[in-house]
Amino acid sequence: MNVGLGGIRGDAADYEFLGNGGELGALIRTYDWASTPLGPVAEWPGCLKTATSLLLQSPVPIVMLWGVEGVMIYNDAYSVFAGSRHPQLLGSNVREGWVEVADFNDNVMKVGLAGGTLAYRDQELTLHRKGFPEPVWMDLDYSPVLDEHGKPAGVIAIVVETTERVLLDRRNAAEHERLQKLFEQAPTFMAMLNGPEHRFVLLNPEYRQLIANRDVLGKPVAEALPEITSQGFIELLDGVFQTGEAVSRYSEKILLQQSDGRVEERYLDFVYQPIKNDDGEVTNIFVQGSDVTERVRAENHQKLLINELNHRVKNTLASVQSIVVQTLRGVQSKEEASTDISGRILALSRAHDVLTNENWDGAELVDVVTASIAAFAGPQRSRVLISGPAIRLGPRAALSLSLALHELSTNAAKYGALSNDTGSVDIQWDVAQGKEGKTFTLVWRENGGPPAPASLRQGFGSKLILRVLPTELGGTASMDYAEHGLVFTLEAPVDAIHDESLTSA
Amino acid sequence: MLVEDEALVAMLVEDFLTEMGCDVVGPAMRLEPGLQMAATADVDFAVLDINLAGKHSFPIAQVLRERGIPFLFASGYGVAGLAEGFETTPVLQKPFDRGELEKAVRRVASIG
Repeated sequence: MNVGLGGIRGDAADYEFLGNGGELGALIRTYDWASTPLGPVAEWPGCLKTATSLLLQSPVPIVMLWGVEGVMIYNDAYSVFAGSRHPQLLGSNVREGWVEVADFNDNVMKVGLAGGTLAYRDQELTLHRKGFPEPVWMDLDYSPVLDEHGKPAGVIAIVVETTERVLLDRRNAAEHERLQKLFEQAPTFMAMLNGPEHRFVLLNPEYRQLIANRDVLGKPVAEALPEITSQGFIELLDGVFQTGEAVSRYSEKILLQQSDGRVEERYLDFVYQPIKNDDGEVTNIFVQGSDVTERVRAENHQKLLINELNHRVKNTLASVQSIVVQTLRGVQSKEEASTDISGRILALSRAHDVLTNENWDGAELVDVVTASIAAFAGPQRSRVLISGPAIRLGPRAALSLSLALHELSTNAAKYGALSNDTGSVDIQWDVAQGKEGKTFTLVWRENGGPPAPASLRQGFGSKLILRVLPTELGGTASMDYAEHGLVFTLEAPVDAIHDESLTSA
Repeated sequence: MLVEDEALVAMLVEDFLTEMGCDVVGPAMRLEPGLQMAATADVDFAVLDINLAGKHSFPIAQVLRERGIPFLFASGYGVAGLAEGFETTPVLQKPFDRGELEKAVRRVASIG
């Protein structure tokens, strides 16, 4: 046996079995195997040589642990895995070579030398490959190497490091969890629809709420939400699936079934986003959006209010126009015109005040009467007596009655019972059951005024009081010029004075 | 024929029509009397307010249409308040003056 330091130990023939064994083949040739339990290579048993030759030829990282000590022989691929621990690992006992995982390898040796095999997938071990401890994941497969007598003489291990893949998987899982959380907690509704039938594969709590918690998972949209099939949404999804182009809609009306079976109108902002595979084909459609029903309703309500306000302003302007045009026809002087126009516009304004207090829903008759005679101050006011039960007037009736009472009051102040110091006015109203339903009666009775003032017979006032007012209320009006003063009587069905709110149309 | 629910406006339009040489039937100031009048009155044309104390006057317009009586709308809502089927009917936006009324009437009816 030729043992020389630094040179090839023994005869070249002893190493022929190594073949072209790469870097490790060269190292094995020069290694002092005599100092290990294996002894010089020339004395190695055939099975050790064969196994060594086999692993050196393999591109897969393989290490062999020989004998009870587990002396390490490995290939080039394993040396890459071993990092800075190579080349010291070669020829060392595995429990000392990988001292940080000695227990793990102790078990491997026991099992292997007893003829057993071991397999680990993504096994985590803490190794010191770069001078500090780091977690490493590996697929590990151990099997015994038998000697000429069929007895286990060593253990061969295939070691494939999976650290990169494991860490990537973990990052993906964390990312997935983050997205899942985002999806679950999103304030908007979200769903994932798969395939040309748009099957629900994913939906978040907001989406569930939108569809009244129906069980839709795995079902095509048309089957899961049958009420929307006729509303164009399926066609929209089909279009996105075919063209691969996203579609957005704002304040889109949709009729959705509620948990009680009722179909309710909702308004949605939403986007259908196509999801494509690596070949650019649409596989899924991501649905995301918000229920904006409350916003749309508020907007519609506001539009209605503005429209209604405009209507009311135009009608009021027409009323003022009517007052001006018709007053000018009947007056003798500019002063009279000015006084009459102002008086009538103010009467209209007071009627508006009464109605505004009630949100234009109507008014109490007593408030209308009180407002109409409010122009009289002091002693004159005390000569007007009002009495009658509480009666609700519709807004139209309230307006017309206000104007009529203004005309009567002005007439009384100019020519009637309130034109002297002693006269008085008695305003009474009542509701009585008649043959054709309830009848409303209002009587304006003047006492102690100058006899037979007849000026109300012509002009704006008389036309309003005797013709238009009874026409409006579907009743009758009459004027008597009694000895004690003027008496005006209005009769109308109660239904007519309860006309509907102006905003209801 | 005049249908207008607001007393002051009814008086004014009635005056306008009288000055134009028309004999005015009405005013009807609510939907039900308006419907009755539309069914029976012998008139050349009608001026209809749209909102009659909370109800639309379109049923009256329908009756007039069936009888072949021309009509126009007068409304504070303007064109925006028109129901389906009446989009082409002329609408006078309140307030309006006699000239505008006269022009609109000439559009829908041939009167002396």
